[in-house]
Amino acid sequence: METIKKLILEKLPEAVIEDKQPLCVSVEPKQVHLLMETLYNNPEYNFDVLLKVIGMDWGEKLGVIYFLTGSKDLFAKEIVVKTATADRENPLLYSLTDLYETALLNEREIYAMFGIRFINNPDMRKFFLNEDWIGYPLRKDYDGAPALNPMKVESKEIQDVTRRLTEVDGKIQEERIDIFEVDDYIINIGPQHPSTHGVMHFRTALDGEIIKKIDVHSGYIHRGIEKLSENLGYHQILHFTDRLDYLSANINRHCLCMCIEKAAEIEVPERAQYIRTILDELTRIESHLLGWAAQCNDLGATTAFVYGMREREMILHIFEKVCGGRLIMNQNVIGGVMFDIYPEFQKEVKEFIPYMREKLIEYDRFFSHNVIALGRMIGIGVLKQEDAVSYAITGPAGRASGWSCDVRKHKAYSLYDQVEFKEVIRKEGDSYARYLNRLDEIAESLHIIEQLIDNIPEGSFQTKTKPIIRIPEGEYYQSVEAGRGVFSVFIDSRGDKTPYRLKFRSPSMSLVSAMPLICKGEKLADFIGIGGSMDYVIPDIDR
Amino acid sequence: MNYSQPLELSHVTAWLDEVLRGAMPEFWALLIEYVLIGVVLLTLYAVLALILIYAERKITAFFQSRLGPNRVGKWGIVQSVADMVKILIKEIIYVKKVDKVLFYVAPFFMIVASMLTFGAIPFGQGLQVVDFNIGVFYVLAVSSLGIIGVLLAGWSSNNKYSMVGAMRSGAQFVSYELSAGLALMTMVVLSGTMQLSEIVESQRYCWNLFNGHISAVIAFVIYLISGHAETNRGPFDLPEAESELIAGYHTEYSGLQFGFFYLAEYLNMFIIAAIATTVFLGGWMPIQVKGWDTFNQIMWYIPSYLWFFAKAAVLVFISLWVRWSFPRLRIDQLLNLEWKYLLPINLVNIFVMVLLVLSGLTLTGLFPNVFGN
Amino acid sequence: MSGNYFSGLFKGVKSLLVGMGETWKELWTKKVTAEYPENRKTTLFVSDRWRATLTMPHDENNEHACTSCKVCETNCPNGTIQVIQKVIETEEGKKKKVLDRYLYDLGMCTFCNLCVLTCPSDAIVFSKDFENATFTRDRLKEQLNKEGSKLREKKKEVKPEAEKSAPEAE
Repeated sequence: METIKKLILEKLPEAVIEDKQPLCVSVEPKQVHLLMETLYNNPEYNFDVLLKVIGMDWGEKLGVIYFLTGSKDLFAKEIVVKTATADRENPLLYSLTDLYETALLNEREIYAMFGIRFINNPDMRKFFLNEDWIGYPLRKDYDGAPALNPMKVESKEIQDVTRRLTEVDGKIQEERIDIFEVDDYIINIGPQHPSTHGVMHFRTALDGEIIKKIDVHSGYIHRGIEKLSENLGYHQILHFTDRLDYLSANINRHCLCMCIEKAAEIEVPERAQYIRTILDELTRIESHLLGWAAQCNDLGATTAFVYGMREREMILHIFEKVCGGRLIMNQNVIGGVMFDIYPEFQKEVKEFIPYMREKLIEYDRFFSHNVIALGRMIGIGVLKQEDAVSYAITGPAGRASGWSCDVRKHKAYSLYDQVEFKEVIRKEGDSYARYLNRLDEIAESLHIIEQLIDNIPEGSFQTKTKPIIRIPEGEYYQSVEAGRGVFSVFIDSRGDKTPYRLKFRSPSMSLVSAMPLICKGEKLADFIGIGGSMDYVIPDIDR
Repeated sequence: MNYSQPLELSHVTAWLDEVLRGAMPEFWALLIEYVLIGVVLLTLYAVLALILIYAERKITAFFQSRLGPNRVGKWGIVQSVADMVKILIKEIIYVKKVDKVLFYVAPFFMIVASMLTFGAIPFGQGLQVVDFNIGVFYVLAVSSLGIIGVLLAGWSSNNKYSMVGAMRSGAQFVSYELSAGLALMTMVVLSGTMQLSEIVESQRYCWNLFNGHISAVIAFVIYLISGHAETNRGPFDLPEAESELIAGYHTEYSGLQFGFFYLAEYLNMFIIAAIATTVFLGGWMPIQVKGWDTFNQIMWYIPSYLWFFAKAAVLVFISLWVRWSFPRLRIDQLLNLEWKYLLPINLVNIFVMVLLVLSGLTLTGLFPNVFGN
Repeated sequence: MSGNYFSGLFKGVKSLLVGMGETWKELWTKKVTAEYPENRKTTLFVSDRWRATLTMPHDENNEHACTSCKVCETNCPNGTIQVIQKVIETEEGKKKKVLDRYLYDLGMCTFCNLCVLTCPSDAIVFSKDFENATFTRDRLKEQLNKEGSKLREKKKEVKPEAEKSAPEAE
C-alpha cells in the first residue's frame, strides 16, 4: 500500500490520505477522475472494480464514497476514495462511467437520492424516482411530507429524453438526448410481465424479433430502506435485510450482523458461526434452485420449474423448523443466531444432501443436455470478462465470465477459511455457463455443509448484547457472497444508536445494468432467457 | 368376412335413417338428419374439449409431481365443466382501440376451421359425416384456415405482444403446413387413395405405419412434429409463449372469445391425433389378423369408435409428454428444424416411399398372404 | 458436413429422448402436493417456532404477565404495537400504572420477533395459528389482553434485570 500512497501523492499532492483500513483518499471533485485513472492503470495492481458507489450527505457537504478493489485478486487491496462539494443547490461531480460501467446506474441513483449530478454521465435521469419527484430523499434535510409527493392515480408518460452534462472550457453545457429513435418499435417488458422476476421494467426497442436497445426502469417497489434505517436502532434494521434479496435473506442478514459485530466488537460464539454458515449454504442452494427453476421456466420448460420448487421446499421445511420462517428467516441477530438448531437438524440435513445430489443428476439428464435448451443458451448473452469487471458483476454470473470473484475465497468470513471447496469458474460467459455454474455451486455448497454438519460444537448460540447497541464513530465495510454476488454493507456511524448512513450494495443492480449490453442483437425470446440466467431479484435493486 | 358387431353405433344411425325415410319425404328426412348430425358434432366437440382439458391438466400435473385438479368433484373430474361455466358467464372486455370487426371475427375463424376438419374425420365404422374422395386434401386445406384467425387476432388487437405472436405464428404455420402435407402425401402414395374411409379399410390387416415400415415411420414422426407445431402447443408455442409474450395473439381476449381460442387449441390437438390415427394407425379398424377368426371376432366386440378414441388418446398422451418435457424453441430454431431437417428428409422420404411401393417392398407387397386385404 | 448434419440430428434426438425418460420416471413418483385444508389434522406441518400472530397468554384466572412497560412498543421497528396504560389505585392507596389495552396490528407486523425477545416479563409470545386471513384490514387490528384481565401477581421477587428493563425510550 505504501507504493500506492506514493503514487497518489505523486500525481495529486493535495490529496488527503487517511491511514486506516481500507486506505482512504479524499480529493476535490475535479481531481477524482485523474485519481481513478491513476488507480485504474496502476501497473502493480489494477483497481478496476468499482464495488460500491455510496452517496453521502455529510451535513454541509454532499459527496460520494467510492470503494475500489481489483479484479486480479479481489479484496487483496482496497481503497476508498471520497469527494464532496459544498454546493447544495446545484451539486456537480464528475462521472466515472468511462472507466467503470457500473457507475452509470449508481450515479443515476445518487442523482435521485441526493441530487448530485454527474458531468459526462451519458444518461443523467433519476433512477428509481420520477423526474418530477420533489426533494432528494437521502439528504438529511429531506422533507418527507406526503403532501409534497402525493400518490397519483393516473399513469404517467415515461420520459424518453435524457440530459447529458458536459464541460467545455470550464462551462457546463446541458444537452438533451432522445433515448429511442422516432420509428422504434418499443415493447414494454414489465412492470407487469411474467418473466421479469418482479416489478422490473425494460423498455425494449425491437427490430423484428431482434433487440436493438434496452432502457432499464426500476423503482416500482422502492421502499427507501436506507432512509428508514437512519432512524432505527441496529436491532431493528436487521429485519430489512431479509427483504432485500429475499432469496439470500439469511446471507444478507449475516452480512449486516457481521458488520455491526465487527464495529461494536461483539464476539460470536463458535456454535453460532456453524449455524450461520450452514444456513447460509442452505440458503445458497435454495436460491440457486429457484434460479435454475426460473431460468428453465423462462425458456418454456414449466416442468423443470416444479421440480426445482419441490427440492427447494425441503430446504424451506428445514428453515421453518430452525427459525420459524421460510423465506424471511429472521435467524441472525447481533451476537449470534436467534434460535438454536432443533434436535433432528443434523439428521435432516444429512438426509437432504444425498437426495439433492441424486436430483442434480436428474436435472442434468432432464435439461442440461437437451438440444433445444443448448441452442437457447450456448453462445447467447455473452458477457466478456472485462465487461463483467467493468459492470462489477459478481456471483455465479461473474464467475461464468471467468472472473474469480467469490468473497468466500478472497476474503473469507465466518467459517469459510476452514472448509474446503472449489470456486466454480467458467470462461464462456454465456447463458449456459451461468446455468451450469449455478448447478455446480449447489454441489459445492452441499460439500461445504457436509464438512460442517457433524462438527457443530456445543455451547451458547448467542452472545448477550446490550439492548441498545452503539457503534463507535467510523466507517465500516463488510462484504459477503450472497446468492447473486457480492452483497455488502456500509455503515457510517457517528456513535449514535442509529447509523448516520447505511448503504447496501446489491448484486442484482449490477446484473440488471449489464442487460442492455449483453442482450443487444439477441432475439426477444433470448432476452427472457438471458434474464433468467442472470437471475436478478428486483427487491434487491429497489432497496 | 363379416363379424357380428353388437355395439356399433352405425346400427343406430342406419335404423334412424330407415325410420325417418319411411315416415316422411326424403327432403325432410335428410334435413332432420343434417340437423341431428350438426347437433351431435357440436356436442361431441364441446365434450371432447372438456375431456381433453381435464386430461391435459391431470397428466401435466402427474408429470410435474403434482396432483392436478382435485377440488371439484372426485379427483376434480368436473373441474373443466366448472371452468366452462365460468368462462361462459365471464364478462367480455371490450378493448377500446382494437379493429372492432376483425377482433370479434378472429375467434370464429379458429373455431370454424377446426369444426370443418372435424366433419371429415371417420370416428368409427360408418361414423363419418362427409366422406370426400379427396379427404386428406380437404383436411389439410381446411385446417390451415385457422391461421387466419391467429393472424387477425394478432393484428386487430392493437397490441405489440399480440402482433409479434401473430407474426411468429404466420412463419411457423406456413413452414410446418408444408411438412404435414408432405408427410400425409407419403402415406397417400402408399394407400393409393385420398379417401379417408378407404385409407382405413386398406389397413385392415396391416397398419400403414408398419406397411410402409422405414418410410412410414419417418413420415409418422414428421407428421407428429409438424402437427404439434401447427397446433401452437409447446415446445412450439411461440405465438403464445407466456414467458415472453404474455399470451401472444390472444392477450387482449377475454371471456368466451378467449374460450374459443382455448377450445380450438385443444380440439386441434385432437384433430392432429385423429388424422394420424386414421392415416397411420388404421383409424377405427380393430386389430385384425388374417385367418384368426375367433380373435378377430373378439376384437370386433369392442366397437370401432372405442378403437379410434383409444388410438387417438395414445397420440394425445405423447403430445402432452413432449410438451411438458421440452423447453420452447426459438423462432430461428423452429425454422431451422423445418427447413433444414424436416423438409429435406420429407422430400427424400416421399421418393423412398414411391420406390417401396413401385418395387413392392411394402409389407403387403412382400407378404400378401399375411397382410394383404 | 453431412456427418455433422446427421450426428447433430441423432445427438439431438437422443438428448430429447433422455429428457422424456426423466419425465416418464417422474410420472410415477409420489406426488408432493399438500392437500390443504384436508391435511389440517394429518400431514400439515407448522413449526413450533413459526411466527403467525402475536398473542398474550392468559392463565385460568384471566391474568396476564404484561406490566405495560412499553419495551415491545419501542422496540417494534414499524409501530405495530401500541400499549395503552391506565392509572389505578392499589389497596395501599398508591397510584400505579397498569395495562389498559394492548393493541396489535397484524397487518403491519413483519414478524421480526423483537417484541418477544425483549419482553422482560415474557408476557407475549408468537403463536403458530396461521389462518389469519380476513376480509378487511381493520379486522387485523386486535386487542391482545382480554376484557377484565389483570396483571398476574408475582410470587417470586422480580429479578432486577437492569439490561432488559431499561426501555429504549428516553
